[in-house]
Amino acid sequence: MTVFDRHMNALSQTHSQGVVMTQAYLEIRDLVKSYDGKQQAVRGISLDIRKGEFVSFLGPSGSGKTTTLMMVAGFEMPTSGSILLGGREIAPVPAHKRNIGMVFQNYALFPHMTALENVGFPLRMRKTPAAEIARRAAEALDMVGLAAFGGRHPREMSGGQQQRVALARALVFGPDVLLLDEPLGALDKNLREQMQVEIKRIHRELGITTIYVTHDQSEAMTMSDRIAVFSQGVVEQFAPPLDIYQRPTTRFVGSFIGDSNFLDVTRQNDGLVAQGIGALNIAAPSQAGKFHGLVRPEAIGLWTGGDEQGHCVLSFLIEGLVHYGDSVLLIGSAAGLNLRARLPSVQASHLHEGDTIRIAWRENDMHLIPVQ
Amino acid sequence: MRITLALALLVALFVLGPLLVVVPMSFSTANSFEFPPPGYWLGYYRSFFGDERWLTPVFNSIGIGLATMLLTMLLVIPASFAMVRQRFMGRSAINLLLMMPMIVPNIVMALGYYTYFSQLKIIHSPLGVVLAHTCLSVPVCYLIIAASLKGFDRNLERAAMNLGASPLRTFWEVTFPVLRPGFLVGGLFAFIHSFDEAVVAIFISGQAASTLPRKMFDSIRIEADPIISVVSTLLFAVVLLAVLSPLAWRAIVKARSQFRAA
Repeated sequence: MTVFDRHMNALSQTHSQGVVMTQAYLEIRDLVKSYDGKQQAVRGISLDIRKGEFVSFLGPSGSGKTTTLMMVAGFEMPTSGSILLGGREIAPVPAHKRNIGMVFQNYALFPHMTALENVGFPLRMRKTPAAEIARRAAEALDMVGLAAFGGRHPREMSGGQQQRVALARALVFGPDVLLLDEPLGALDKNLREQMQVEIKRIHRELGITTIYVTHDQSEAMTMSDRIAVFSQGVVEQFAPPLDIYQRPTTRFVGSFIGDSNFLDVTRQNDGLVAQGIGALNIAAPSQAGKFHGLVRPEAIGLWTGGDEQGHCVLSFLIEGLVHYGDSVLLIGSAAGLNLRARLPSVQASHLHEGDTIRIAWRENDMHLIPVQ
Repeated sequence: MRITLALALLVALFVLGPLLVVVPMSFSTANSFEFPPPGYWLGYYRSFFGDERWLTPVFNSIGIGLATMLLTMLLVIPASFAMVRQRFMGRSAINLLLMMPMIVPNIVMALGYYTYFSQLKIIHSPLGVVLAHTCLSVPVCYLIIAASLKGFDRNLERAAMNLGASPLRTFWEVTFPVLRPGFLVGGLFAFIHSFDEAVVAIFISGQAASTLPRKMFDSIRIEADPIISVVSTLLFAVVLLAVLSPLAWRAIVKARSQFRAA
């Protein structure tokens, strides 16, 4: 039986017990963590994570994402709130009895053990017979493409290889949840992309519920089923990547992910008015009186004339150009606003600093975020 | 460049100077201290290894050194964990207390032990010497073990617990093996410190628990026996071996892993 089969068995067993896939599997309820009793590192987080889901915790450092992960793993005690795994409260369960696999940023491989001994460690702790340990550890190493490296010590392996061993070690015992704490932070760009693909492949094959902590937005965007955006100890938004990008619910989420332009939009006489532009012909998403109007730079294009109905058309002074090869970022001002527009290179070849051009975006491409 | 080299040689000569005198003298045929020796033989080595008055202190010293090492480790390992990993009131005061035996002059310590241990009736006994030596060994041993503990990656322990090891198993399977080199060096220094120590030993070891340095001191003062150069040479050889053994061990381990990787 391979690691893969075992997981499939585990999955079908939970099915036969009547657990529905769409139900929350890992529930985090009103989680609070304070180290000194005064300041809170985590200020009341609630998340429902489904079985088999790949969830990223995304946020700047100090936003509480790693602290939350540490509480799920059992290395930190929550000050209040609860963590339920498959309906069972695990907050009081010590880390070594949780059956949750974890991969650390600095790998945390045991330096005095070979790769095979490292991977066999969790099985040995579970009193698995020696022959089975050897077989399953070898299998797990094979799964991450390191079958030939079992006899090496961590110091004799590259960073990428060590990370693979750490991954195999975190998966070999069939954990209920896999936690990854910025696992690719120490690797160079090419290796990082390779490992992203590898982690996604393994997630697909094993169908294991995974939480991935990162401060790299593109990593979160490409890998996750859903992203929880952390800021200052709270989750600002928890949604699929495209929702996070297109329909952020707070200004922080809109500005942290991707490039953005924000305009002040206010409600006046049942209509919406954008600062520097004027009346908008779009409906307000809520009863709020003030909104942040988010326009992504790539939603802005050159205006070639025609019917202006449904468009915001502005005269734009180019103050700077940044060439990315495939696209050009225009930095400048229009109607007293600082704006950034991203154009395909082929459309921008004739533009220079100091030019004044006509730009436009569709009013529907402006996303409104109520001001809290 | 040439001046630096000359200076380095001068310093080396200065440090090694006593050895260059003592080692040849131990093979000397002269029946008192005489340099350069008139001739060479192994006679004094023979009489050293056949003389109970010398062998007893040797075994005393080894026994006291081992006991000191054990007791020091029992005190220093838990103390280091507490000092490095916990934050508590009076932590820096305790740190100072741990270093105190290194700061206070040995002769002052020795005088203190002499009067205090007399009252406790453990003067002139191995127990007294072991207790005093333990106290003196604590600072250096603590410095070494605390340093290796500071360099220890706590994530290793987290990983072990995450993988299903109880706190006790985590200590025996991960923390202890990873820190073992630091513990070994710390223990070695505690042993050497006790084995070398003369001042306290002279004050409190007496005849019954006489250590080797004390016996050497007595021997110089009373009889000026050339055997003392034999003892010095042997002492130096033992300490050199003890200090070099971790280096040699590391070289062997490295060679072995390179062999395996190839």
